[in-house]
Amino acid sequence: MPRAFTQFANAWVRLTSKSPIVVTFFAIVLGLLIGALIIITTTPAVLVSWRGLFHSWGGLGHALKVTFDNVGSAYRDMFSGSVVNPPEFWHALTTGKNWNQALTPISETLTYATPLIIASIGVGLAFQTGIFNIGANGQAILGGIAGASVATLIHLPMILHLPLTMLAGIAGGMIAGSIPGLLKAFTGAHEVIVTLMLNYVVALFLIFSLLSTALQRPNQSNDISRNFDPSAQLAPLFGTASGLRVSWGIFIALAVVVFAWWFLDRSSLGFDFRVTGANPNAARASGINAKAVIVMVFLLSGGLAGLAGVVQASSTTHLIDGGFLIGNAGIGFTAITVALLGRNRPMGILWASLLFAALGVGGRAMQASTGIPLDLATVIQSAIVLFVATPVLVKEIFRLHTAQTGAVQLATKGWSS
Amino acid sequence: MQKVQIRGRLRHLGMVIGASSLVLGTLTISVAANTVSATAATKFKACVVTDTGGVNDKSFNASAWQGAKDAKKINKNISISYLSSTSSTDYVPNINKFIQQRCGLIVTVGFLMDEATSTASNAHLSQKFAIVDDAPSTKSKNVLSLQYETDQGAFLGGYLAAASTKTGAVGTFGGMQFPSVTLYMNGFVAGVRYYNKTQGAAVKALGWNPASGKCSLGKCDGTGTFVGNFSDQTAGKTITAGDFAAGADIVFPVAGSVGLGSVAAAQQAGAGHSVMWVDTNGCVSDAQYCSSFIGSVTKGVEPSVRDAILSAAKGKFHGGTYVGTLKNQGTGVTYGGITVPASVKAKLNAVAAGIKNGSISVNPNDYPAS
Repeated sequence: MPRAFTQFANAWVRLTSKSPIVVTFFAIVLGLLIGALIIITTTPAVLVSWRGLFHSWGGLGHALKVTFDNVGSAYRDMFSGSVVNPPEFWHALTTGKNWNQALTPISETLTYATPLIIASIGVGLAFQTGIFNIGANGQAILGGIAGASVATLIHLPMILHLPLTMLAGIAGGMIAGSIPGLLKAFTGAHEVIVTLMLNYVVALFLIFSLLSTALQRPNQSNDISRNFDPSAQLAPLFGTASGLRVSWGIFIALAVVVFAWWFLDRSSLGFDFRVTGANPNAARASGINAKAVIVMVFLLSGGLAGLAGVVQASSTTHLIDGGFLIGNAGIGFTAITVALLGRNRPMGILWASLLFAALGVGGRAMQASTGIPLDLATVIQSAIVLFVATPVLVKEIFRLHTAQTGAVQLATKGWSS
Repeated sequence: MQKVQIRGRLRHLGMVIGASSLVLGTLTISVAANTVSATAATKFKACVVTDTGGVNDKSFNASAWQGAKDAKKINKNISISYLSSTSSTDYVPNINKFIQQRCGLIVTVGFLMDEATSTASNAHLSQKFAIVDDAPSTKSKNVLSLQYETDQGAFLGGYLAAASTKTGAVGTFGGMQFPSVTLYMNGFVAGVRYYNKTQGAAVKALGWNPASGKCSLGKCDGTGTFVGNFSDQTAGKTITAGDFAAGADIVFPVAGSVGLGSVAAAQQAGAGHSVMWVDTNGCVSDAQYCSSFIGSVTKGVEPSVRDAILSAAKGKFHGGTYVGTLKNQGTGVTYGGITVPASVKAKLNAVAAGIKNGSISVNPNDYPAS
């Protein structure tokens, strides 16, 4: 018995260590707590039940029940709308019917995660090299435009058309990425300013290109492209008839994760990148060509962002319009927070993307059935990132202690680089 | 030594578990209770998918949602919910979400959702849809398209403007050249021309030259002034100020929130300059500018959505087209904060009656251009 207790306590010590994974886990818990707090303070039914306490303390049980019911149903809908709905899943498992419906939530989450993973890996690679690529969204949009051009204007068999469309997307992103890359390498222009501003340029270029005769859908006066040729579409994994939207693009995303892991940990160029990120002076002293590295990082990061853009268009909408990746749909901006949450590591980014996609998809389900606005999901996402970015806060709240293993640190230097 | 440390850590165990369980515990416990909500679906559920404007856009999407709320007020057995689209990529998943939730009727808002609605309606033939302000590309029997002959309302607006102008000229401009926009402008010009013909006046209408032939909900051609979007209020202000400089004193912007730029221009130009609001009653949706409105040409999104939901709840849903006219309050004109003489109001009522019984045409080509 005492031995079992010691083992448990040892496990607990590991669990409460200040390792990044543990901090991230507790950041998620805190984010959900803040979300619960917001539900409590903004849901009229909950507030009314607590108001009853001013009259008599007997209402306490009722108030607690209403609170837990509301918070519970919100998070339940979020979970069953984004991962799995247990009764539906059980029904499918026991009867073998309605599998499509049981798998819809996870399929939606994977659909949203697919481009997010690719774009976030792109941003994360740049972060690892000490470079802030705030322009991933613009690069993704340009990738989408380039991909849409190939997908709608050229007609080829799928075996050529689909790869060509993807390559066009990568090329589009690389073009957008090369501008800040070259400017930083040869003039020293700060990449944050240049990439940030280029987002606006590309967003306006999107409208311009969609209103051009080449890309605009015939007989239409608004900014919308033709549909992608079927040969340039990433088909749903289980066929169109299944209604499940998760596409073959998820394999592209997984391939990108594997590539990024290999590139960072196994390739010599990746080593140059990481050394440059960790200490630019040391990198220069050891003979690494800093200018070449900067340009290469932007090409790689921009290319991945461009790929994310074209995958998004090719797998879901099959077209691009004036709202493509604009505003709340800007995965390039979400990618920055996802990369941060995933600590710029490929596997971390994979999980962070899935979490963000699940929160977004689940938020939609929550809004549809409880009426709590989808924006709550955004609040939770932001809170999680905020806590991840301030590990000291999480450490203090949960009294975590320093782990034996060294904690991973962000390589990015920001303004000082 | 190690053990002491461990015990120290254990002190915080309860707190951490407590915090985690508040979230994770409610999650797991309530997941088990999920079956309850699935079985209690005897009510009729009406679901609205809004465009990117969301339910608080004070325009279209807000009207559609208000229509759903009105329906719920009338029939307590109706439950309503909405999903707002953050971008066009959300149309399909939002519609799918509601199909999954077994909504009795799914209302989609605006012609941008045409494709998503058409695809979903073809894939789910038993699911009923209504789409606001769109002539759908599909002919599925499970889609009700809510359309509005806004040229009838705008005709009255044009008549009101022509009767109220002191300078002998009125203006109009559009957001983008869509039939749903130009139909308003066409009716407005027709109203001005009708006023000239019947009252022997020579009021000029700036900003829209109708093409020959008739206008319909699907096609309404001509040449005119357009902003190029529905958001650039500065451009709206510039165009309106240009109209004022050209001698007009009443301007009818058919461009959503761009019209607020026209209001700014009218306020800057001073007394005697006013704006005719579009889509909604400006004195309700933008009440703070009511004193600048001579009137509003409305599109009856609320009553049409309400009626579509109510009849679907009764099991009397019919696919096809609903056409909003003056007769069924699908379009109309309301007065603004500027006083309109009773004599003009009486004439306007007579004209409205004439349009309703078909004796007055709303085609501008039936009247001589001034």
